[in-house]
Amino acid sequence: MSSSALNKKFDRIRAQEEAGLLKTSTGNRALRKMMSNRLAMVGLIIFSIILLSSIFAPLLTSHDPQKIDLRSMLNSPSWDHIFGTDRTGRDVFARILYGGRVSILVGLGSALLSAVIGVGIGCYTGYRGGWIDVVALRVSEIFMSFPQIILVLLLVSIVGQSLINLIIIFVLSGWGSMYRLSRARMLSLREEEYVQALQSFGVSTVKICYKHILPNALGPIMVNVTLTTAMFILAEAGLSFLGLGVPLSIPTWGNILNVAQDLRVLQNNWWMWLPVGLVISLFVLSVNFIGDGLRDSTDSTLQG
Amino acid sequence: MTDEIALSVENLKTFFYTNKRCNKAVNGVSFNIKKGKTLCVVGESGCGKSVTASTIMQLLPTLSRIEEGSVTYHSDRGDIRIDELPRDGSEMRRIRGSEISMIFQDPMTALNPVYTIGFQIAESLQYHTDLNSSEIKARVIELLTDMGIPLPEQRAEEYPHNFSGGMRQRAMIAMAMSCNPKILIADEPTTALDVTIQAQIFGLMDKLKSEHHTAIMLITHDMGVVAELADEVAVMYMGNIVEAGTVDDVLRRPRHPYTRALLDSIPVLGRGRNQDIKSIRGATPDPYDRPVGCQFAPRCDFASDACKQMPSEDFVNDTHRVSCWAHKEIAQNG
Amino acid sequence: MLTFILRRLLITIPMLLVISFLIYLGLELTPGDAVSYMINPELANQITAEQLDQMREALGLNKSFLERYSIWLFHVLQGDFGHSLSGGVAISTIVLDRLPATLELSIFALLFSTLIGCFFGTISALRRGSATDSTLTVVGMLGVSIPEFFFGLVALLVFALNLGWLPVGGRLLPEYDSYWDHLPNIILPGVVLSLMMTAGVMRYSRSAMLDSLSREFIRTARSKGLPEWRINLIHGFRVALTPVVVLIGFRLPTLIGGSVIIETVFQWPGVGNEFILAVRGSDYPLVMMIALFSVFAMLMASLIVDILTALIDPRVRLG
Repeated sequence: MSSSALNKKFDRIRAQEEAGLLKTSTGNRALRKMMSNRLAMVGLIIFSIILLSSIFAPLLTSHDPQKIDLRSMLNSPSWDHIFGTDRTGRDVFARILYGGRVSILVGLGSALLSAVIGVGIGCYTGYRGGWIDVVALRVSEIFMSFPQIILVLLLVSIVGQSLINLIIIFVLSGWGSMYRLSRARMLSLREEEYVQALQSFGVSTVKICYKHILPNALGPIMVNVTLTTAMFILAEAGLSFLGLGVPLSIPTWGNILNVAQDLRVLQNNWWMWLPVGLVISLFVLSVNFIGDGLRDSTDSTLQG
Repeated sequence: MTDEIALSVENLKTFFYTNKRCNKAVNGVSFNIKKGKTLCVVGESGCGKSVTASTIMQLLPTLSRIEEGSVTYHSDRGDIRIDELPRDGSEMRRIRGSEISMIFQDPMTALNPVYTIGFQIAESLQYHTDLNSSEIKARVIELLTDMGIPLPEQRAEEYPHNFSGGMRQRAMIAMAMSCNPKILIADEPTTALDVTIQAQIFGLMDKLKSEHHTAIMLITHDMGVVAELADEVAVMYMGNIVEAGTVDDVLRRPRHPYTRALLDSIPVLGRGRNQDIKSIRGATPDPYDRPVGCQFAPRCDFASDACKQMPSEDFVNDTHRVSCWAHKEIAQNG
Repeated sequence: MLTFILRRLLITIPMLLVISFLIYLGLELTPGDAVSYMINPELANQITAEQLDQMREALGLNKSFLERYSIWLFHVLQGDFGHSLSGGVAISTIVLDRLPATLELSIFALLFSTLIGCFFGTISALRRGSATDSTLTVVGMLGVSIPEFFFGLVALLVFALNLGWLPVGGRLLPEYDSYWDHLPNIILPGVVLSLMMTAGVMRYSRSAMLDSLSREFIRTARSKGLPEWRINLIHGFRVALTPVVVLIGFRLPTLIGGSVIIETVFQWPGVGNEFILAVRGSDYPLVMMIALFSVFAMLMASLIVDILTALIDPRVRLG
């Protein structure tokens, strides 16, 4: 801001202050910050729209995503087929909607499962310490020393492709960071005085760990869940694009993109891959907006 | 012989505009800093003493400004109105570091952790003098020796975290004095240090006064430091100077209730366990929710209705001034 | 400094051992016997069945699991990774052949993302709250949200297929005379690969810069009368560099992983591309060994980053 504009702003604030018009605001800080974080709100809206569209897919389209119609192959968008049709005449729009269900399930589901496992282990071993902590730490380090995609593909090549397999593999590759995060929080929180008080009252370890300490660590964990969701959605998209993720028989966003490996499709049939890619990008963007908003509102060190 | 005045501050008002509120951090403050003398500005946290120092150096944050008043630096080139200079203009930057310097409370955070001490001292010399690199190097070692740091050649190549607290502060003082400034502003320089180290730093500052005739403005909340070092004292409360004068005037014959309360609240070595220490009742008001008139009235034993009006400044003698409606009464009670 | 490196190596080596053990376990679990692929197929065709059996014996076919593992490990440490199931080429040859291509891409992406990311992140921090800052922030958000391969497809379509500014794919094409001719080929996959990293570095360097600029030593620098650029760059940015370097080290695996997909999209003949082919073809030895190799690469890379951090930040050298 230029200095003269700044000066005018100051003059205005001073006048208001001297007139007694300004008062300190009250109310839930976190909620207020969240509300004022417009990006997070936008993110939430976009997220909800896409999520709900996928869940209520049958209401939004009458087409069956698996139905092959060899008479209308490679049709460009029209009123009947909003996003056109693919090589075997399947409606692309329907595939995107139904595909969303699987992609979101894989992404969100894997993230939540990773969180449950990672946090569960991290909290307990972090609190207890000792050899169990060291073992868990080393195990997590082993998982985390593989580049994620290589670990996933390694496991896929061993156990084969299926939806369940993919989720399990994702969780195996992702629990490590959740574990580290919650362990770190646990290590710093267990030195707090209220924990010592609880211990002296004879409260059981499990109870102290999960009922008393965990709620205080929830902020960064929630933020991390959103980031992990974004990561898994992108990972699934990439793997399915290569044909190595969810089996091609189940439509997912990444699967739909599989056809774009063919350069002719890339150039001539834009509707088959561009909308899907945009949907993925929008969804992940919204998740990131939400994550940022959560981070801003739960970080108590940021000044209001 | 009257002392030469290095810096005069006249009715200075500095307001902060963070969080869309207006905080009158400094609300009408006047004093002079004299060459070869130490002015101690003393008060509790939040009274505006650090802000005053920042204002003189024009080191204020973006969301603040000098509202009214003047800060005049009496340099060799003539009188310079610091409040009228652009904040980061070349004139101000020339003054900073070479003519007016500042040292800060915590030398660990005030020094850059990734550069050697020698590098950081050399920077000032690089920008304010015409010395070449070998001359600068020699001067750095000379400065470190002057400040009492042993093995200066080795120390100059070390990092802040290699130094002890007292030595870090000495290094900071060396940095500040590198260009022989006329004025040194010290913002609570010994608060983060041991008492024994404090004494050493005080000795160092006395040396600066006698050898270089530096004018020193020392900010502190510790009355003991005032007793040790000050030639003149200004007591601040909530953005105003409530009492000012020579150290004799203010410490021996305090007239403002706040000054007296401050002095009463210090335990005295030797008086034993049962000495009477009075804490000042109440708490400093919220800067956004100030009392009308005299800021100290709600906590004052001598308050009256007159205090709803801001007291004017009265001169008790040539050097001693106080802002309190009841100061004569207090003087009589002793 | 030397002790620092030695200590880090001491931690890394057991890790590699454990992982090599797991990899070997994977080899044992997958179809096919665990030792045959260690024998050169060309050689296998030339010798008698008896001699073949003898070789298998020597490799530990009928011995205990641990003995087989030790023999295998011994071979690996000597550089013998066994042979690919499709074509019988020595895996070490395959990896070494493909390595330069992947290194080109990775180093390009690393340099690009570090320079561009730091530059824009710093600008964002210095112009905090301005339109530039907001724009860059949104661009950064987009960068971490768009799937890299999708961005690659779009870039491929626009810049290569439609505009023809850059080649469509491949690396050392037959029509290239000298090594330098293929540099334009690096640009598209390199920039695409660095997308997520650049966005990450941009966001992170912005916050690291803001944090650095709010510290006390900035005030000290200003009180010395130094010019703004020096305060921002020499003092502010220099201190912000440490967390940024740590972040880059942290995110290196995404670079290595990302190259797997990007190489496939752009037909870039690197190790990642080879890995995908191996997975698709169920070429287990190749899959395992590339995985092992990638872990090794990652651990080495993070060691280098740690050394770099210690060089940049004198405080780290103590611990």
